[in-house]
Amino acid sequence: MRADHQAVLLRRRVFSPGFFSVTFRAPTLAREIAPGQFVMLEVAGRLRPYLRRAYSVADADPDAGEAEFLVRRIGPGTAALEDLAEGSEAALLGPLGNGFSLAGLPPRARVAVVAGGIGAAPFPLLFRALTAAEIPADLYLGGRNAAELGFRSRFAEIVPGETFLSTDDGSLGEKGFVTDAFARRADGGRGPLYARVFACGPMPMFAALARVVQRLDCPSEFSTEAAMGCGFGACLGCVIPATEKPFVISCMEGPILPPGKIAWEKI
Amino acid sequence: MTDPALRVRLGPLELANPIVTASGTFGYGLEFTDFVDLSELGALCTKGLSLRPHAGNVPPRICETPAGMLNAIGLQNVGVEAFLAEKLPRLRTLGATVIANVWGDTEEEYVAVVEALQDAEGLAAIELNISCPNVEKGRMLFGNSPTATASLVSRVRAATRSTLIVKLSPNAPDLVESARAARDTGADVLSLVNTFVGMAIDPVTARPRLSFGTGGLSGPAIKPLAVRMVFQVARALPGVPLMGIGGISDLSDVLEFLAAGASAVQIGTANFRDPGVSGRLVKELAVYCADRGTAVSSLVGRAQRIGTGGEAGAEG
Repeated sequence: MRADHQAVLLRRRVFSPGFFSVTFRAPTLAREIAPGQFVMLEVAGRLRPYLRRAYSVADADPDAGEAEFLVRRIGPGTAALEDLAEGSEAALLGPLGNGFSLAGLPPRARVAVVAGGIGAAPFPLLFRALTAAEIPADLYLGGRNAAELGFRSRFAEIVPGETFLSTDDGSLGEKGFVTDAFARRADGGRGPLYARVFACGPMPMFAALARVVQRLDCPSEFSTEAAMGCGFGACLGCVIPATEKPFVISCMEGPILPPGKIAWEKI
Repeated sequence: MTDPALRVRLGPLELANPIVTASGTFGYGLEFTDFVDLSELGALCTKGLSLRPHAGNVPPRICETPAGMLNAIGLQNVGVEAFLAEKLPRLRTLGATVIANVWGDTEEEYVAVVEALQDAEGLAAIELNISCPNVEKGRMLFGNSPTATASLVSRVRAATRSTLIVKLSPNAPDLVESARAARDTGADVLSLVNTFVGMAIDPVTARPRLSFGTGGLSGPAIKPLAVRMVFQVARALPGVPLMGIGGISDLSDVLEFLAAGASAVQIGTANFRDPGVSGRLVKELAVYCADRGTAVSSLVGRAQRIGTGGEAGAEG
């Protein structure tokens, strides 16, 4: 059930400047969270940031009662988390949103995970679920430059398949967009190599990837990001232009959405 | 659990306690059932209802600002018909005291929505949104001119027997005159204030952060402005029941608005940050009253009785 969990910060791990993870003690949340779901996190007592921030849960360990988040410092919300002292509390409202789906995959299916920059955030927990279900998966991790692949070491031993790194400037891995790196391999000759694609990243990456997966007719789940005021359907701030109606409410109908539901031409 | 010390009366409207959730910040109430027992609130104000479903503005619709936020949601709502069919029955089952917030693009639309609500069972009151600054055609005028306010309120008054709350805009050129116009034409209660028109611009791209350009500012940033406005209207129109709104986040904020002259308060933006805040404030207020052997009704308007060193409105 959705609840506001008071959680103690256990540790912070810095991957590269501005890229870090925070792990909280949050036993109930760690037990209930599913891959792709998120929480609204509040560092108490602050007027700036005033609103909570949405964070996908990166990983959860029900036995240890821990929940981890991957964070990139971009503004006052993430800076507050970077400054939070170990042993301090934050409030984690969740689990929120719908989560990725592994249901209905055909036998011996292979899936792909496509992540741009901080879009890597929700995937350790998904890889945990894929590994448990014995579903092979490849990771396509891209960014503008090597610094944006700060989290690559977090995925070093958890991907049940291959990892392909790419950067726009060629400073690490293949040179070019992550969507191109994916597109080069995804077409298995007779239809797509992958039975499903899970993706998270900035809107331009999504828009490009939507064209690729549509061409391949490959079912996909995008973890969308929109500025959220509340995270539970009250403020209606996080809407995304949609195909079958004017808008989808990202926090309630998503954040995981098939690309066909999104009106890309309106974004 | 109803604590007699918390009961408040606002004209014909009696509430079990003065904690009400503000329209546009509490969905239809049903979004909050994991966090609040709706039956414990004084009342909840629904999302603004229009005659037909309304899609709202294109994103980005919200943007955080220091100690608050700007919004230009554009009054997205399911429409009065769906509210009556799908939302209100569930709210009644949950024991909620419901205030239907209503808006329209024309006087006729307001009247039509109010008429549609007329025979609904379980509505405690109707609140007219005459002040939402977000949609272009006409509505700015209802709240921004006492004449337009008077014309609208008298039309609506003639169309309903329900308790009528008029939610005032802080953007009106003369708030007291708008308040007077609403009272004189049939408002039972005044709620104040709605959001302040504001703007945020991306310093790098120089584009407004909201697709609509401007938006309504809410949150703790507006609290002193709202307290001043409640104080001012309470002083100018003694005896008119007021609901105070603007940045209320904790018990001391509630007490401040009561002291200024509000008989009840509405909790707005704080619901986004802390969805359980409204229920918690009811409990904290009960403890406060019990500890001091006092009742909420005797906390209302204390600052009016003490007075100020000068006139409200002085800019020092």
